[in-house]
Amino acid sequence: MDVTREQISDGLKRAKYVTNERVETAIFLALALEKPLLIEGPAGAGKTEVAKVLAEILHTELIRLQCYEGLDEARALYEWNYQKQLLRMQAGEQEGLRWEELSEHVFSRDYLLERPLLRAITAPSRAVLLIDEIDKADEEFEAFLLELLSDFQVSVPELGTLKAHERPVVILTSNRARELSEALRRRCLHLFIDFPGIEQERKIIELKVPELDAKLAAEAARFVSAIRKLGLRKPPSIAETLDWARALVRLGVRELDTDAVRTALSVLLKHEDDRARVESKASALAPRTR
Amino acid sequence: MARLRDQLVGFIAALRAAGLRISVAESIDAMNAVAAVGLARAPMHEALAAALVKDEADRAIFDESFDRFFAAPRASRGEHPDHRGEQVSAASGRPGEEPPVRAAALASRRDEKSLAPPLQAKPAKKSTAARSHGAEKEKNGEEGRDARRLSDRMRDRQEQREQPPPEESTTPGIDATRVARIRAIERTAFDEFSDLDYDEARDALAPLIRRFRIRLGRRLRLARTGRIDFRRTIRAALQRGGTLIDVNFRARRPRHVDLVILADISGSVRYAAQLMLELMAGARGCFRRVSSFVYVDHLAEADFEDGHLVMTPALDLYARSDFGRVLGELWQRRTGLLRRGTIVVIMGDGRNNRLPARADLVREIARACRAVVWLNPEDPARWGTGDSAIKQYAREVNALVPSRNLRELQAALAAIA
Repeated sequence: MDVTREQISDGLKRAKYVTNERVETAIFLALALEKPLLIEGPAGAGKTEVAKVLAEILHTELIRLQCYEGLDEARALYEWNYQKQLLRMQAGEQEGLRWEELSEHVFSRDYLLERPLLRAITAPSRAVLLIDEIDKADEEFEAFLLELLSDFQVSVPELGTLKAHERPVVILTSNRARELSEALRRRCLHLFIDFPGIEQERKIIELKVPELDAKLAAEAARFVSAIRKLGLRKPPSIAETLDWARALVRLGVRELDTDAVRTALSVLLKHEDDRARVESKASALAPRTR
Repeated sequence: MARLRDQLVGFIAALRAAGLRISVAESIDAMNAVAAVGLARAPMHEALAAALVKDEADRAIFDESFDRFFAAPRASRGEHPDHRGEQVSAASGRPGEEPPVRAAALASRRDEKSLAPPLQAKPAKKSTAARSHGAEKEKNGEEGRDARRLSDRMRDRQEQREQPPPEESTTPGIDATRVARIRAIERTAFDEFSDLDYDEARDALAPLIRRFRIRLGRRLRLARTGRIDFRRTIRAALQRGGTLIDVNFRARRPRHVDLVILADISGSVRYAAQLMLELMAGARGCFRRVSSFVYVDHLAEADFEDGHLVMTPALDLYARSDFGRVLGELWQRRTGLLRRGTIVVIMGDGRNNRLPARADLVREIARACRAVVWLNPEDPARWGTGDSAIKQYAREVNALVPSRNLRELQAALAAIA
């Protein structure tokens, strides 16, 4: 596919996705080499967002497959619509159709429930396929995915082989709940996205919550970065930082002092012990104490 | 371009030698990636990383190798004048040959390493060895002096480990001997280990841990076969006119395995014990809870901090092994530790200095837990000779597995899960 690094870089900027060279290069390569991109990193660092932004840049549909334990081909690829088939057969019996005629009818695309993977393959134009949290799926599913990712074709016994018109852009994300197989890693390009640095996060806040005072945004970024280093049970994600920034705007906070930090902490931290921990250190962490 | 290709092949070979696993398909990806992004240094760096580094843990090795490989020599050619400035500035030094200062420094470091006496005394560091050293200070006489000498050696070893790994050569290439050495060390029996072997084994451990974790994850996964969920199956069938088309299984639950590890760190088995503890520390995520203990004549909790074994309280490494007493201590702490789902792994040679073996306690523990597995680093031919009480224990444990070298140890541990 013909894209240049500059196009990606511009596109990311237009989509308000603040990032670094590492991410840009990886996205560019995924498009240029038509390879799946495996993104790893802590929860809430913007892995899923990459796929969303990419769909926006390419002006195509984002097809999302959320993985979970026990996800099988019927949920991921396709399934026959049994109810519809049954109804059709009952109607057919009354019309006096023979089985041969019926079966031809009943096993057509009309009665096929397309799940995300098949949708991505049969999409009329190049789609972005996001396979989210692949580490939550079973190993069997991972093995099945390997086959699909290399050929982008599916054979449905009753219909024949369906092949992608245009290879979808595939993004896989993983939180490392378990180790992915070497085989899958081999087939993908790899990208690790960590939490943004203070400066990068400040830019994100300014871009997404422009109502917040610039000085306050910088202080907020510094504060969040500091509490991420405390080794909390669940460090705040970027989305939570943004929610927090919005909360600060709504609360009319002018200065990020100890009290301001305390009032809106529940937006940022979702575990009671995390909250207690940060609250006890609030005075040390808050940029300004009264 | 042919030269660039050769260079990339060389670079990939160097990465492989450093322990990264890179397939042929990935190296082709790397070539294509470089072709796509061009030769400017920073994008090329990221492009190669995306194609070759599939585990963030390997990233540091990659970065280091990249800097070594694509530093000064690449700038000298100046194939792309427009990128040249960038390349030179990034290469930190004059374009052209290897900066002489660095080469000389490397050479002198090499000499130093080869000349340095292996047991050279060095200033003390606060470490495991130093802590146990403190405990030994009280003792006098022959035994104490021996202990001190050993703790000096241990400290020395740790010092060496803390140093950055010496660069092997300025011209990177395939280090075939390293791979061969790792293969060999996997087969070396623990009782023939020297300190040097131990260091090498720890080198070999990192990829082993990763392989072990993947293998363990797979085993645990395969082991839980779901049972049929009757209600959901019937409900699905009702939707389809009562025909049983789909069989629904009950959601699988992860197995709750607690692990209690007891490792003998006295005398000849201590290498085996430490390597095992480190291996298990790497696989911690595969179990619900892992409690590690080490023992000589007492029980001590073991933990790993930055790759060093830390025990609380410190043990006297030169005391007489008394596993009977250790068993008693474990039995006293059993509440919350030994449950129905617990697997107890004991690593030791069962040489008890003719003290009471207390095999009856092993029986009690086996009854309270899911299984007791004994790993013995000693040659099976010598089991039960001299002061070995292993035959008594063997009757009570669920499995007694020889684990004379890294390879056997790994297989034995994987079999436990």
